[in-house]
Amino acid sequence: MLGLVDCNNFYASCERSFDPSLIGKAVVVLSNNDGCVVARSNEAKALSIKMGVPLFQLEELRKAHEVKVFSSNYTLYGDMSSRIMSILGRYVEDVEVYSIDEAFMNLTGYESVYPDLAQFAQDVRHRALAWTRIPVSIGLAPTKTLCKVANWYAKREAEHNGALVLDTPAKIEQALYGFDVAELWGVGWRYAGLLKRNGIRTAAHLRDMADDWLAANMTVNGLRLAHELRGLKCNLIETVAPAKKAICTAPSFGQVIPDLDLIRQALTTHVGRVAEKLRKQDSAASAITVFLHTNRFRRTPGNGLAAKQYYGSRTIELPHPTASTAELASYAQAALTAIYRFGYHYQKVGVMLTGLVPADFRQANLFNDGPDDRQVRLARVVDKLNYRYGRDKIRLAAAGYDPIWHHKQQWMSRRYTTRWKDILKVK
Amino acid sequence: MRYSDQSDNEYSPVKATVTTRLHIPFYASLIKAGFTSPAENYVERVCDLNDLCVTNPEATYFVRVDGDSMSGDRIEKDDVLVVDCSQEATEGKIVVIWLNGEHTVKRIHYAPPLVVLVASNPKYNPIYVQPDDNFRVFGVVTYVIFKPL
Repeated sequence: MLGLVDCNNFYASCERSFDPSLIGKAVVVLSNNDGCVVARSNEAKALSIKMGVPLFQLEELRKAHEVKVFSSNYTLYGDMSSRIMSILGRYVEDVEVYSIDEAFMNLTGYESVYPDLAQFAQDVRHRALAWTRIPVSIGLAPTKTLCKVANWYAKREAEHNGALVLDTPAKIEQALYGFDVAELWGVGWRYAGLLKRNGIRTAAHLRDMADDWLAANMTVNGLRLAHELRGLKCNLIETVAPAKKAICTAPSFGQVIPDLDLIRQALTTHVGRVAEKLRKQDSAASAITVFLHTNRFRRTPGNGLAAKQYYGSRTIELPHPTASTAELASYAQAALTAIYRFGYHYQKVGVMLTGLVPADFRQANLFNDGPDDRQVRLARVVDKLNYRYGRDKIRLAAAGYDPIWHHKQQWMSRRYTTRWKDILKVK
Repeated sequence: MRYSDQSDNEYSPVKATVTTRLHIPFYASLIKAGFTSPAENYVERVCDLNDLCVTNPEATYFVRVDGDSMSGDRIEKDDVLVVDCSQEATEGKIVVIWLNGEHTVKRIHYAPPLVVLVASNPKYNPIYVQPDDNFRVFGVVTYVIFKPL
């Protein structure tokens, strides 16, 4: 069995974690530079505030409904994320951090440790809630795609109490029978259209299509998707087309490593890899998190006692979003230096890029009203001019080119967990 | 790490986190000049304050005291409290609570059906938590960090 743990409205929940007065209120979190909405609480969703809505369109709602607006506080979100991921790591060895607020857990081999999966899921939820005050939803199923389906129900239908286990063919059948194909993991709008045109509306229907048809119409990705729905594990990671909210690389070392220089080399390699992923999806990162930890299950050779453990992580907010390997690497090394402790045998160093924004972010506000053809054409002309005469020769005066433009984050909450002057105050 | 933040530049570029470690050299025995140290084989890992104060980093938060209601427990203004959210707020523990719009530190007592929050400074009356109060426990205070005058 696999599990998918997904934090509910993660950014908004992080804000609530340290300010319970926000509970029950509409909370939205803005992108870098307070451009547009990137996260919403359920109450904000109920007000039909859409993702990507620019701030100025919210002014009326903000006054009428008391919408609480926050600038994105990636330092806080990064730390809370690493707390959640670390909590999951207490239950199972293999935790795949899929994004800042989602992780897969591999429960294979834990049948005797966690015989009651529903109980296990509730335990994880309660612990995450008690320790971080962040609500999570959990879907447990034989494959990642089914986990996503289970999680979808767990999050939306109150009767599941935040966790759904799909462990029998009957339960899986019931879940897939009413599940819209467009909501399936890895089905983008193009495939969704194709499927609807062919009368395939539910996940169960897609699962039961012939392999020939799937391969011919949806390539190997569609075939994998159907296999996953049938309960056969396939690696679906690469088929996820939409830009990710965060990019992470953290392969384990082949052997435990105590040496800082070797860890540095590994980290630099990882940074090169994530930066490449970042540029491939035309994004830039606003924050970088480096984490370093030992193997929880390692025993000291010789005496067989549990080896001493260390888990360190640090999030650095970048002065401006970047996709430059050199720039990211220098921040990553600074973070590593800060968390590295001598005397441990490390298993893993990882890097996570968060706060991803489109690479052409400074022009993003131009496009928020939806695709205006003239603006797109204008941008292309600007790009061509810049290509010929040098980068940023022509740019929007309103967007500016101030390297410290992130000062505009006027609703930034405190960095409760990472700065001494920002820690919570109690009377 | 933050660069060029609003007004303050006095903060070092490296943030403090719960993983910050303070190393205090610890020797298993005294070293005598002239001899090969018999302690050499007994050098242990340095004492780490986190081992003492932060046993559960994922659930540990630091908060700063902004009042004198707990002065009877030697918790004074500007002290830093180590708060462990994984511990149960059992009878008589000093806890950080969210109550009606602010975080507060008090000693918790259970007198079913009531919860009573008791300050240790006699200036303050005990608070009886009412059913319609917005009340939630943040965590249990495990250590108090203060700088002697």
